Amino acid sequence: MSLPINVTDVELAADDLRRRTLSHMPSPLERVIYLGSTRDYNTGLYYHDGLASRFSDEVACEALANCHREAYRQLLGSSVEDLVLQIDSYVQSTHSALRDFLAAWKSLQPYRVAVPAGTDPLAVEFLCGNVRTALAIWESHQDGRSRQRPDASPQPSPVL
Amino acid sequence: MIQLVLSLLLGLALVVSLYFFARRSKPSAEGTAQQLREARQTLDSLQFGLLPNDLVERIFAREDLEYVLSAARPEVQSLFLADRKNIALAWVGRVRSAVLNLMRFHRGHARLHARLSFSTEIRLALNFAGLLTACRLLQITFYLRGPYAAPGMVRTAAAAAGRVCSISEDSLAFLNVKRVDQLENNEARNRA
Repeated sequence: MSLPINVTDVELAADDLRRRTLSHMPSPLERVIYLGSTRDYNTGLYYHDGLASRFSDEVACEALANCHREAYRQLLGSSVEDLVLQIDSYVQSTHSALRDFLAAWKSLQPYRVAVPAGTDPLAVEFLCGNVRTALAIWESHQDGRSRQRPDASPQPSPVL
Repeated sequence: MIQLVLSLLLGLALVVSLYFFARRSKPSAEGTAQQLREARQTLDSLQFGLLPNDLVERIFAREDLEYVLSAARPEVQSLFLADRKNIALAWVGRVRSAVLNLMRFHRGHARLHARLSFSTEIRLALNFAGLLTACRLLQITFYLRGPYAAPGMVRTAAAAAGRVCSISEDSLAFLNVKRVDQLENNEARNRA
């Protein structure tokens, strides 16, 4: 039988996570994608070795879930214009090739699986629509930039 | 002869009405607990899923429209407007259906409670009627003129839905999970 989780421990763990890890991710989009990736698809539980070793698996899971919901709320409150900036900053932080990134985000839509459990489906659809629009605008900005720099060499496109 | 036929028809009408009256089911404890839980879920979905101010303001934010119209290509603009229209229609449809659920629940259960406040019930009935009308008007407006056509009415509908939630919550104070769980435990004990 698992012991009840201490709320104070969860808050301490969440603060620790914000300070050590999430503070390096300025945009909510980056935080949502990162926190979504710490969740096991089969169980829905979050894992973080460092946090679990300092606290416990259960506390780490709860802290990650809280931070995920918090980042998601911030992302949901972002305007389309802000989302375009967040996508730009996210691509720069991942160092991905633009074409690879666009192909993956358009076909796989990773932001769709990165939402926290129990999120209202209407809010998910709203966010996905906004990200789609922001991605299209960001892409057109990139096209504009690459036209301004005709020497930019094309990257090989990924197989998706 | 005509009198006989009329009497027979009248008798038949009485028997039919008696049959339907007898068929009206009384709310069982099991049904009541289930309905209470559903009403609680509807109320939660309205309060925390559909009506939070930041979500409503975001869905109908004009700044997004202005930005997209100034920064996006025409096909992206159309896609954005179609997306927002679908979201706005889905939002108002879900608010309306949640309000209808609450109204049905309230109508079915209010008569079982002796200590109802008459003024609260009247206020609730007026709010339900006003809200359902506003939702229908919004659906028609969004459908014909898009999601940004009636920002004032959206705010009014969201505020009215919030009022219905709080009055409903106050009026049906038994709508709390503890009480529902207690009811279900009693049921289980009765069945054992």
